[in-house]
Amino acid sequence: MQTSTVMHPDFDTAVKLTIYTFIAETAAAPSSAEVAEKVGASPAEVEAAFGRLHVKRLLVPEPGDPSRIRMAPPFSGVATPFSVEVRGMRYYANCAWDALGIPAALRADAVILAADGFSGEPLTLEVKGNRPVPRECVVHFAVPAARWWEDIIYT
Amino acid sequence: MLLFRSEETVNRWCQTHQVPRRPLVTLDQLWHLAVVWYANRLTVESRRPAPDEMVAVFAGIGLEGPFWDPKADKWESAT
Repeated sequence: MQTSTVMHPDFDTAVKLTIYTFIAETAAAPSSAEVAEKVGASPAEVEAAFGRLHVKRLLVPEPGDPSRIRMAPPFSGVATPFSVEVRGMRYYANCAWDALGIPAALRADAVILAADGFSGEPLTLEVKGNRPVPRECVVHFAVPAARWWEDIIYT
Repeated sequence: MLLFRSEETVNRWCQTHQVPRRPLVTLDQLWHLAVVWYANRLTVESRRPAPDEMVAVFAGIGLEGPFWDPKADKWESAT
């Protein structure tokens, strides 16, 4: 029997799906209270699930505020320099990789409004028909894979 | 990771920030990674690839060496 303090792994799956569905539908990250209302649990139980999903690297709670979501990769919970327009909605991605990850996750065409990392000049990417429209650009990985999650917000 | 218009602006960014030049990834390579990581993210079974799976995915698109190994403790030789 499930208790209020020992949650079944399916609870974490329910929380995860609720988060991602909420973001896909609204382009905003839900609070723990909003997720709690949808899954029939308390905000504290949901925040504990946020922590377990963070361990699995599926979620990054807002530093200093476990009730909020900073990242649910590929989605960002805050505005970033990577704006992704899909079906009239504006999402934000955490990085160039995640900017492409949003149309991959939503299985939709997208226009990505970004900027050159050095000059700041606008750099627009487009995903159409399940592939990126070719254009001259490169992505520079400054951090090796072994260190990506030491400071994932910087990475 | 940052997006750049060209290798020239990557080099200028590295010089300005005194950061070593690291590997570059093309748009097609990045799209492949985006699909592998995120195409099933809104489904019940979604999960992040395990470290060994990551190495195989990277190698499959030509990104090889310790820089791309999440278990590596040295990576300078790959850059």
